[in-house]
Amino acid sequence: MTPRSGRVLATVVLAAVLAGCGGQGSEAGGGRASGGNGPARHATTAPPQPSAEPVRPLARSEPVGLRIPAIGVDTPVMRLGLASDGTVEVPPVADDDLAGWYRHSPAPGQVGPSVVLGHVTVGSHGDGVFRRLARLHRGDRVETRLANGTAAEFAVIEVRTVAKAEFPTDDVYGDVDRPELRLITCGGPRSGDEYRDNVIVFAELTATTSARSPAVS
Amino acid sequence: MRRTILSAVALACTAVLAGTAPAFATDPTPVPSDPAATTPSPGTEPSEAPGTGTGPSEVPTPSVSAPAPAAEPSEVPTPSVSAPAPAYEVSADGQVSVVPEGAADTGVGAAQSSGSDTGLIGAGAGAGLLAGGAVLFVVRRRRAATGA
Repeated sequence: MTPRSGRVLATVVLAAVLAGCGGQGSEAGGGRASGGNGPARHATTAPPQPSAEPVRPLARSEPVGLRIPAIGVDTPVMRLGLASDGTVEVPPVADDDLAGWYRHSPAPGQVGPSVVLGHVTVGSHGDGVFRRLARLHRGDRVETRLANGTAAEFAVIEVRTVAKAEFPTDDVYGDVDRPELRLITCGGPRSGDEYRDNVIVFAELTATTSARSPAVS
Repeated sequence: MRRTILSAVALACTAVLAGTAPAFATDPTPVPSDPAATTPSPGTEPSEAPGTGTGPSEVPTPSVSAPAPAAEPSEVPTPSVSAPAPAYEVSADGQVSVVPEGAADTGVGAAQSSGSDTGLIGAGAGAGLLAGGAVLFVVRRRRAATGA
């Protein structure tokens, strides 16, 4: 092998290696950020504690909007019911993913657990509206806008990641004696299209706002 | 001298081609959304036998002719007339009136093939470049040997 041939061969091999690395790099950076959706493995924050001053509940009015500043959520809210198999319906899988309120639960601000669901991912459409739900912490604000113009503001009291097989039905849907909110999405490791866990955020009512006046209670 | 220039040009062309291949590969064919995923699967688990609205029975009936739940999920939604009975109802005002069964299916995984395809194409481009370099090397050696 002549020195010149050796140099040429070394150059070609180097170029090939660089090309291979470029392909892998584009793979790592070209995803739709679903890898960032993995819920934090922190199990929960502290157990729920009743607030010192209970806020006066609101009259029933369907939620039309949901805002969670800490994780950049600002979405319309649709109505959800029961699926044919008895499970709760979920919002449609679409580009413009949005949250949904389970209509057999109290409206936000009413006494009882108001349940709102959203996707963590929506298949080929990418991230869901609740992709960062697991990043919420105790005290983070959740604002709901109601159809009658009022708004109910909640504070996160617990974030729980549980296996779907051990879904805490009573904790989520069971009776409570004050206005509370549940935000539900999927989380945990994924096998195929299925997530193993549910991420559930428990929140309590901290303030209400009428359509005109900013702080009724 | 001319051979050296030609070799350099060939090498540059090969490197450029290898570099552009992954760029083409990052434009994946749009994957159509799975319409089946938009609707909750009616048969993810054996459905309860249509009851009379009294809720699910824990004790199986001893009758041999009792309709057994489907052993495997059916692809075609069964035109069930009676809605499945909820697990239980809460009668208190303002609470949850109908409690859903099981967990919420609020995550549809993204297509898994995109990343691996990109990696495969990148590796293929690298292999092609290696092959080109090897051919170039052999040709040059033969030319050097023959003095052509």
